[in-house]
Amino acid sequence: MNTTTHFHPDETMLMEFSAGTLATAPSICVSAHLHFCSQCKNQLLRLNQIGSQLLSEAQPMAIDDSTFDAVMEKIDSGDLPAVSNARTESANNSLGFPYPVSKLVKNSLVSQTWKRLSGSVDIARFKTGQQEFEVALHKICAGGKTPKHDHQGLEYTVVLKGSFSDENAVYREGDFLVRKPGDVHQPMGAQNGECICLSALSAPIKLTNPLGFLMKPWLRINPM
Amino acid sequence: MLSTKTPNSVKQRSNGDRVAVLKSTEKRSDQWSELLIAVGENRDRQAFAKLFRHFGPLLKGFAHASRNEGWFPGLGDDLVQEVMIKVWQKAAGYNAEKASATTWIYTVARNCRIDMLRRKSNTQHLPLENEDFWHEPDEETPISLLQQKRSEDKVQESLAQLPKEQDEILRKVYLEGKSHAEASAELGLPLGTVKSRVRLALQKMQIIVSAEAQE
Repeated sequence: MNTTTHFHPDETMLMEFSAGTLATAPSICVSAHLHFCSQCKNQLLRLNQIGSQLLSEAQPMAIDDSTFDAVMEKIDSGDLPAVSNARTESANNSLGFPYPVSKLVKNSLVSQTWKRLSGSVDIARFKTGQQEFEVALHKICAGGKTPKHDHQGLEYTVVLKGSFSDENAVYREGDFLVRKPGDVHQPMGAQNGECICLSALSAPIKLTNPLGFLMKPWLRINPM
Repeated sequence: MLSTKTPNSVKQRSNGDRVAVLKSTEKRSDQWSELLIAVGENRDRQAFAKLFRHFGPLLKGFAHASRNEGWFPGLGDDLVQEVMIKVWQKAAGYNAEKASATTWIYTVARNCRIDMLRRKSNTQHLPLENEDFWHEPDEETPISLLQQKRSEDKVQESLAQLPKEQDEILRKVYLEGKSHAEASAELGLPLGTVKSRVRLALQKMQIIVSAEAQE
């Protein structure tokens, strides 16, 4: 899918994604953006070439012959875990969401229904096996106003369907946004239809006391 | 239920087309890409053995370069096995227009390495594997093979000429598997400095034209 997106993750974030050092939650968001953005996909192909070049310069280490035999034996046993096939799985992906989002919708929803968050916003949370971010879908109804809010943590948002706007711009499918702690905004759903966004919201900074206990501040979010 | 109705149009392309495109433009001249195609198309065991002899030791080196949480002594051999089995299984999906064999194997190795390390250091069930983030249907490549090859050459050539301070960060990130924040802590540099060095390096490799090009 190649719609024209206007808001992209920055190149240092793409590099971390390319090197595999970006944390899970922001990786889900970058991956979702790539589903819509051929510009970033191209950039990523080139970033992968850095990894490729560094791999080819890696210090080679001797391998025992038995390793090759073990690999051939496993291949011949026919007893290998099936590799996923992008084509068939995309064809089965009736939601039209980016692959990792569809997979989360299918397997990892905290609850199978939308939960009302405010008058015009519903939320569906995911379990993603990490503690730093709450990862969720938000649905803003057509013309829905969200309460003005500020961000205590970092928030990544990717528009998956429809559009919304705030004081600064209109955000359309594929657009990738970063809100930093302290940013205040009031998003509004487009008049012509509901808007679905993927978001990853980080917890406010966790403080530890001198004894080393983790003191959870008043969390408004629920990382899973 | 979370239902929406956005049809997902996926352009598919047959194997035959791919070969035709390869023949009509400059071919990938490197032997590794040809061997990988042979494995994908003909399940060629000799080609696979050659790939194994070349990439096995590099993959082991790549595994040992990693400095992540979860690292364990047997990681090298485990990674070689897991990656090479995936190479065998997925070779049919290799698209020589998009990437050289080395780049393609790098992406397989990166995903395997992260997933193996995460499985070791995490007791929780992880609903997504790193591979899932790279799960894109094979679409038309908007840039030609020739452009790809030029860009690979540019990356290779300029990587060798980067100032040490930039090179050091790229190695930490790609080989050791460090985030920019971890690199900044280890090098005792502000995160902003790490990021600006990264941007400078990317400009030299012409991966980004300028910082504004993204806007």
